[in-house]
Amino acid sequence: MTASPSHLDLLESESIHIFREAAAQFRKPVLMYSIGKDSTVLLHLARKAFFPQPVPFPLLHVDTKWKFKDMIAFRDRTARELGLELIVHTNEDGIKRGINPIDHAPSIHTDVLKTQALKQALDKYGFDAAFGGARRDEEASRAKERVFSFRASGHRWDPRKQRPEMWHLLNGRLGTGETVRVFPMSNWTEKDVWRYILREKLEVVPLYYAAERPTIVRNGQILMQDDERLQPREGEKVEMRKIRFRTLGDYPLTAAVESDAETIEAVVAETINAQTSERQGRLIDHDQAGAMEKKKQEGYF
Amino acid sequence: MSVHALHKHESIEKAQPHLEVVPNLVRELGGITHLLTCGSVDDGKSTLIGRLLWDASDLYEDQRENVRRSGRKAAGTDLPDFSMLLDGLVAEREQGITIDIAWKYFDTDTRRFVIIDSPGHEQYTRNMASGASHADVAIVLVDARSGVKKQTKRHTAILDLVGVKHVVLAVNKMDLVGWSEDVFRKIEADFRTLCWKFNFWDATAIPLSAVFGDNVSAASENMSWYSGPTLIQHLEKTPSRVSEAGSVFRFPVQTVLRDGLDFRGLAGTVTSGSVKVGDVVVDTLSNASGKVIRIATMDGDLESASAGQAVALQLDVDIDVSRGAVLSAPEMRPVAAQTVEARFVWLSEDEFSPTAGYLLRTSTDLVPISNIEIKGLLDLETMASRPARACAANDIAIAKISLGRAAAIDVFTETPETGTLLLVDSITGATMAGGIATSVNSKAEQPVDGHFVLKRDMLANGLNRDLSMSSKDREEFMRRANEVAIILRSAGVSVAIEPPPPLDDGMDPGL
Repeated sequence: MTASPSHLDLLESESIHIFREAAAQFRKPVLMYSIGKDSTVLLHLARKAFFPQPVPFPLLHVDTKWKFKDMIAFRDRTARELGLELIVHTNEDGIKRGINPIDHAPSIHTDVLKTQALKQALDKYGFDAAFGGARRDEEASRAKERVFSFRASGHRWDPRKQRPEMWHLLNGRLGTGETVRVFPMSNWTEKDVWRYILREKLEVVPLYYAAERPTIVRNGQILMQDDERLQPREGEKVEMRKIRFRTLGDYPLTAAVESDAETIEAVVAETINAQTSERQGRLIDHDQAGAMEKKKQEGYF
Repeated sequence: MSVHALHKHESIEKAQPHLEVVPNLVRELGGITHLLTCGSVDDGKSTLIGRLLWDASDLYEDQRENVRRSGRKAAGTDLPDFSMLLDGLVAEREQGITIDIAWKYFDTDTRRFVIIDSPGHEQYTRNMASGASHADVAIVLVDARSGVKKQTKRHTAILDLVGVKHVVLAVNKMDLVGWSEDVFRKIEADFRTLCWKFNFWDATAIPLSAVFGDNVSAASENMSWYSGPTLIQHLEKTPSRVSEAGSVFRFPVQTVLRDGLDFRGLAGTVTSGSVKVGDVVVDTLSNASGKVIRIATMDGDLESASAGQAVALQLDVDIDVSRGAVLSAPEMRPVAAQTVEARFVWLSEDEFSPTAGYLLRTSTDLVPISNIEIKGLLDLETMASRPARACAANDIAIAKISLGRAAAIDVFTETPETGTLLLVDSITGATMAGGIATSVNSKAEQPVDGHFVLKRDMLANGLNRDLSMSSKDREEFMRRANEVAIILRSAGVSVAIEPPPPLDDGMDPGL
């Protein structure tokens, strides 16, 4: 170590501290693993927090069945190579009802296949704490989020029940029926995530790198045709474009950007020079005013 | 590239987006400064933060464009309304969240800044105390037309209480007093007088105009009489709490990590001082000690670890130490406290109840409280206490606590990180209050007059006679006093350092 730690060193130490506080205070934690770059960093920090012991909790992936194929392959390989327990949960009831992101409004799809599915999974396994990769810099409604974010029975976020956090003291004593979401990366920014991926030489899903991919332009956004379920509508056509993704989610709801960044260095350079903040590419956020706020109250995060 | 230059070259950067930054891709910033802003909307707080973001930070171009396009102008000027950059946060104010702190991040060329924004309305004591507990430096904002007010006094008192060591008085709206040096010097003198009562290491006043940008990131052309730093220059030089953590080694154990039969690691973050392989460390609660044989991290073993680093320590003997222990050097231990005197900021909507059943949360321990008494409430304007038996939201309570079992606690002013406390409701788990230990005793019954008091005069005439009144030397004064107190306490002497003089002497009665 040099005499003066860099900001990434400080952020890393803080995240490790949070992981350890949560693991020590909660009975049955789980890591919400969404396969994207933030989850990649989150998982890496968890491994550091408990080294040389293996990560002492499982990963949970809420699978909507609309993730990019590359994401699922990456997920399974990561869990296998690191010897981690992976729990995949899908809201089968929602699938049976035919809920999907192409025919339904993104808000309905997200509520049924993400929010409800996550609650089902947490209840099914009895997890009392769930680690997530959310960051306060992502958007305004998260700017006030706590590191330990409490949920009343039914996973509801009650603003009046959020606990003040002072100094480095994290109070994890649960009241009856309460669970908690833990955000070890609260103080990271998007740029930090990329710089850290580069510094730590972390592997990310190839979709973050530019490649020629089949695309459809819809409502001014570039979508990737990841499988046959997404078909061009009248006036649209499938065209090859060199694209990459700044965030990853359900493929019909995730807009790509045209890019030549084929390497991690090029992606980081593009991010650091970015002229727009990252959530512009996430369609669910534009669906309705205060969308994230509402989803949070409903338990999406 | 200086902050100043960043602003000027904005358009050039746009023209050639990639090439310029590639060489320092993994550029790691030289540290993180947590910045609290105190003041009301009328003092121009949003405009000042907006101006800092606009002039000195890595804002996204779409955020800049929004401000330019909106056509909104700062009141009475033809300049963009920089407070717009905080609009998102202001709208979120309606969440109704109990303690209402928003976090915002920006980078200059050398540092990460984290702006901690707490609302200025009347519930501000608990909000501000909560936010200030995370701050390395606080900007106290005053309007040049009205100067240091009662509110300024309360703000500085809260900052001192929770351990902020660096304070900047931003004397805003200098344009409205004709850029007058006399006006500024008067306010600066009032501020100096005020701060002398507290334990700040550095208190600096800067004349500025947030709307016009004078002395925010660019030196003012309207105030040539001012030769000090701009606000951003000053902030970039302000050290963080972690870099100023004392030299006394503290390591609160968070959890025990195991790997097969060979490894049992005590995991935690060094909160002050440092430890190296070969050091003997002790758990003051069990009196068990061992020698550090390995400092483990996933990136390889370390020879030493210092404040802020999260590591796992392996000892040569398998001592029975677990979460709640605070490892230290044998001769510089925290107190295995049975009784604690503390000052608490009452955070909860629910009032204090002597029969509620509270727990005391220390660095990593959670201890049952066998008895808690409120002794008084602190008046933030005079720093005088008045007797009281109860307290409610926004009160600063002086409490005496007897613990159900011993916990490792330090006196906050000496070893801050291991002298912080939370009062937790044992049934709901809610955080009722946050506090600092002012006195800790390993005996169950504390003799009321049994303290040995280290008097400031005595220290100034002897041990500290080589020190001046400069802020660096004041810091050194306290450091030496703290070390002496810790040594005496380790030897079993109940000791306190004389507090700074009360606030009522020499002060302008209007303050």
